Amino acid sequence: MLEQDVKYLKFKTYLNTYCPFCHQSFNVEKKDHKQIEFKAKYKGEEIDIFLSPYLDVFDSETSVPVKDGEFLEDLMCPHCQKSLISPETKCGECGSPVGSVIISALSKLVPFFICLKKGCEWHGLTKADERKIKLKIPRQDMPEQDQTLRIHNHQEVPYGFTTELASLEAGRCLQCKVPKCVEGCPVNVDIPGFIKLMREDNFDGAAKKIKERNVLPAICGRVCPQESQCEEKCILGYKDKPVAIGRLERFVADFERKMELVKIPIVKNKNNKRIAIVGSGPGGLTCAADMALHGYSVTVFEALHELGGVLTYGIPEFRLPKSIVQFEINFLKQLGVRFEVNHIIGTILTIDELLEHFDAVYIGVGAGLPVFANIEGESLGNVFSSNEYLTRMNLMKAYRFPEYDTPMPKGNKVVVVGGGNVAMDCARTAIRTGSSDVTVVYRRSRNELPAREEEVHHAEEEGIKFKLLTNPTRYIGTDYSTLKAMECIKMQLGEPDASGRRRPVPIENSEFIIECDMAIIAIGTGPNPIIFSTTPNLKRNKWGYIDVNQETGETSIEGVYAGGDIVSGSATVIEAMGAGRIAANSMHKKLSGTKEKEKEKETKK
Amino acid sequence: MKEFENIDEILDFAINEEQQAVDFYMTLAESAKNEYIKNTFIDFAKEEVNHKNRLMDIKQNGLFTMTAETVADLKISDYTVSVHPTPNMTYSDALVLAMKKEKAAFKLYSKLAERAPNSELKDVFLSLAAEESKHKLRFEIEYDEFVLKEN
Repeated sequence: MLEQDVKYLKFKTYLNTYCPFCHQSFNVEKKDHKQIEFKAKYKGEEIDIFLSPYLDVFDSETSVPVKDGEFLEDLMCPHCQKSLISPETKCGECGSPVGSVIISALSKLVPFFICLKKGCEWHGLTKADERKIKLKIPRQDMPEQDQTLRIHNHQEVPYGFTTELASLEAGRCLQCKVPKCVEGCPVNVDIPGFIKLMREDNFDGAAKKIKERNVLPAICGRVCPQESQCEEKCILGYKDKPVAIGRLERFVADFERKMELVKIPIVKNKNNKRIAIVGSGPGGLTCAADMALHGYSVTVFEALHELGGVLTYGIPEFRLPKSIVQFEINFLKQLGVRFEVNHIIGTILTIDELLEHFDAVYIGVGAGLPVFANIEGESLGNVFSSNEYLTRMNLMKAYRFPEYDTPMPKGNKVVVVGGGNVAMDCARTAIRTGSSDVTVVYRRSRNELPAREEEVHHAEEEGIKFKLLTNPTRYIGTDYSTLKAMECIKMQLGEPDASGRRRPVPIENSEFIIECDMAIIAIGTGPNPIIFSTTPNLKRNKWGYIDVNQETGETSIEGVYAGGDIVSGSATVIEAMGAGRIAANSMHKKLSGTKEKEKEKETKK
Repeated sequence: MKEFENIDEILDFAINEEQQAVDFYMTLAESAKNEYIKNTFIDFAKEEVNHKNRLMDIKQNGLFTMTAETVADLKISDYTVSVHPTPNMTYSDALVLAMKKEKAAFKLYSKLAERAPNSELKDVFLSLAAEESKHKLRFEIEYDEFVLKEN
């Protein structure tokens, strides 16, 4: 049994301990607290001992006169005087005799063993009982800003775990020998490893453990869809709610940052090879960090005036504070990565020109081209793409106009079309910037909403309305060509489509009108054609995304790699990071000659 | 509108329509600048060739079977704005173009069914209309899955 569990049991229910023979309680009331009292024998003498809150006989606060390495000769019930020493069971760690008691944990009576050797901290519950008790510790929620307050500001909604909540949540992990959660993580973070360090109160070590595989833990802890990745695979999740891996990741990353424990690794074996990274989003940053750590001289080119890609222009402040993005980028700067902003690759410099100056190029420009449904009225005034709306709000800080130059798109009755995280971001931004009525129009039902449950829940709390099984058919304008209403049609769900979700089919003659003065279309994004206009020989698929070798990230042009949304279409931050890592590994293999050596080895075989 | 007197005449008309569709897509393929869009139009043309072959087969072997199934209508072709073919078309434009073309064919056969002189010919037209409707659905599904992704 783990300390955190016992701590939890004690805090939440008070741990009752009983004699397995006479079933009387060992708990005694002291002046201001409860204690668990026994009789014991040491060197022939009978002594009274007390268990610490962690069921440890030799806690530092108890003065049991036992020398280190020695053990109690006997442990006895103070009521029936029977020996509690278990003849069949020995300590799982040191093989010393153990005392057997019954504990009441969350309405269950379970056998529990206490090692009698000083210095050994083994608490033995049978594995099955340990699991039963762990399942009973509920998944911990993060404290968060009240909804009535937060719709008037742009500050982050959840405050993050406190140390105590983080310890409790870490205690829920089953520490599986074959952890499935690691398989669910696109960059294979050693999840049980970092949680184990958390249980030892080594939060700094836990942060370092995550950083072995993920350079942006504070960001991933906030925006990764863990429920469909690592947490979906969590074994605990089969019977109970899974361990809140994302929240724990966020906690340790924040702890490391706040405590100023971040250490910049010293890069050894610097070489004189140069790498160009196009795009400073999550994939580009991961590739840049990996290559810098391998000793390469890395330059990142960013088209906008701020770094971070979608982390900066796409995700709002209340979901991902920009100071955190800035902090993670500063880490890369200190690693020696060079950043060039306002560099639109494809116009200022072409990919071919980059190849003249760099040994390899990684394209991680994301999918920044807005997609429209191509229906009537999309060019009316106050009909925005989610890309434009969020870029104005997040990157250009339009909500602080005129302090910032960009005017704020504003409407009283706002309709957001789409059901993903981007749609939720748009709707929640609109409600924060003074819109009185915000409705999300989505063509499937609530169960199929692609947005994270957490985001939908927050949106609902903030007063966003949902018009489900509804699809726009046209936008209607005033005489001055600004939006005044939207015609929609009701939908019903038909057969499942390729994504496994039931396909929405329109209901004949069910059209109706929604009055609105601003619409934001958040139905997806496409590849920006700028790079391809000057590099037409870069092989692409029919949707315009770059064709790559999935195992290496190599494109059709020698020395050019790509990954993230520009290859896969809109996906997650961590998937882009995974792609950045794959490309960095294969780039390094190729440039350091490892690939050639491997090939040579294979041919020799 | 042309009057039809027997099934063979209808099938000849339909075969000719499919051939025109093949020619239309091949012209677009030739003018497309993007290699993938070019291939997309060639694929569309190949599909029309298959439709044409199927009709020729029916004509030769007289194996005309009625399709009584109802084909789902996602109505995407109804609500999307018409696309004019250009050499720089995107894949989603190509899909809109194709689905609208199939919709037009569906409408044509439905109209011909209304005007059919007898129930036998009417059934043939309705069957051809259902076939075109299936083709349209295929493009609508592709558009639904990859353009209207809602994220």
